Amino acid sequence: MNWLTGFLKSSVGRKFVMAFTGLFLCFFLVVHLAGNLMLYIGGEAYNNYAHKLHSNEEFLLIAEVLLFSAFALHIALAFTTTLENFRARKKSYKLVETKRDDRTMPLSASTDYTMMITGMIGLFFLVWHISDFKLEFGWEALLEGQNPAQKVGVILANWSRVLIYTLGSVAFGIHVSHGLASACQTIGFNHPKYTPAINVISKVFGVIVAVGFSSFPILANMYPDLLNFSGVVTNSH
Amino acid sequence: MSDSDNNLTLTLRVWRQDNSETKGKFADYKISRISPHMSFLEMLDILNEQLIAQGDEPVAFDHDCREGICGTCSLMINGQAHGPDKETTTCQLHMRRFKNGDTVVIEPWRANAFPVVKDLVVDRTALDRIIEAGGYISVNTGQAQDGNCLPIPRQDQSSSMDAAACIGCGACVAACKNASAMLFTSAKVSHLAQLPQGDPERPQRVLNMVAQMDAEGFGGCSNTYECEAACPAGVSIEHIARLNREYVKASFCSSATAAEPIQAGE
Repeated sequence: MNWLTGFLKSSVGRKFVMAFTGLFLCFFLVVHLAGNLMLYIGGEAYNNYAHKLHSNEEFLLIAEVLLFSAFALHIALAFTTTLENFRARKKSYKLVETKRDDRTMPLSASTDYTMMITGMIGLFFLVWHISDFKLEFGWEALLEGQNPAQKVGVILANWSRVLIYTLGSVAFGIHVSHGLASACQTIGFNHPKYTPAINVISKVFGVIVAVGFSSFPILANMYPDLLNFSGVVTNSH
Repeated sequence: MSDSDNNLTLTLRVWRQDNSETKGKFADYKISRISPHMSFLEMLDILNEQLIAQGDEPVAFDHDCREGICGTCSLMINGQAHGPDKETTTCQLHMRRFKNGDTVVIEPWRANAFPVVKDLVVDRTALDRIIEAGGYISVNTGQAQDGNCLPIPRQDQSSSMDAAACIGCGACVAACKNASAMLFTSAKVSHLAQLPQGDPERPQRVLNMVAQMDAEGFGGCSNTYECEAACPAGVSIEHIARLNREYVKASFCSSATAAEPIQAGE
């Protein structure tokens, strides 16, 4: 099994795992967003979806284990490779200018140079998100006896959650706008016929993630009528 | 109008360092009467003549063919590997790209795998060891073979030639935020991976070269593609994708395993 540990320890092998888990997490984002969009159809549709998802406990358990493993691997590799990459140049340049013509942003603000930052903001959001919706930590009293759609309404009525959830959604959008195309390159999928399309799809996907997910905290507060939380009981502020 | 009317006066901010052990610092030099037709290295020659005349130590920098084909010259010029021009080595960069009164910051390639030898000269033997780790290729010896016996698709032949254009200057490492040698290594892997010559060693070659690259202390690839933009030979990042494919295929679908990395000085 030396060959396998050798693969997993090599720079190319670790990036491959990073890309593979990243693509899986992108797929999860699509499924998650599709579920969330049920809220625009109505509280009923969303509750139905939530009920169906939770009625198959075995499937949910496997999905959650896979998802948690993918996140854990992706995050752990991100920290180790970033640290290693940072250490590969102990003495930095006085001046760094790009030679790429297609850069629209300064280097320090480009999507590829900020993967660690957008990823960390995303991770910060993720901790709050799991604590709120999965564990309902601190929400026990307010969420008592509410259906899933109503719970969304209650949690998203909190201004701190609006801020964190919007920030997290935008960070993930920026992250995947580089990440999707980058993952394809890393797994070796670079092709004269498909790569130009992948680069566009990656950017569009980033916008969909950012706008799609952040629309819920924003619209829930600006246009409460649009999101039908069916008789939602919110806290007074 | 005579040529001298266009002559430049520049301030050069040059990295000076005695050897890999000492710290090094920037030194400013004023240089005048620089013809816009000069190459960047000729301008440095003038600077060195000036320094020698003053009794100072000349600036050490790498150069050989001065025709843009050998890959010996380097230099980070105003934060760009080989200066502002695309697909151009420092020796082919002309002073007409600079304006009178400019300050030009000149630094060596910076990477742990490229220790500074002196001033702007760095030790790039790590790249030689990656090539060495690639090993030999099997070819038929004896009577010259009929070229038509080895049909190679036009696209493969052309792509292989594009990869072989790499002159091993290390600009990809210098321009990469991670000091990664992926574009260099991928060019060397991709060059032979598309040809029937050397096909028997194909999986072994990529495993050894990646192991050597990692052992040299280069960073990993995060697909920022600054290497491709900085490459004076125009090597494309599609070769990096091919290296990734070759590496996964060699790891999982061949019986080859990576050899022990070569130590410096061996």
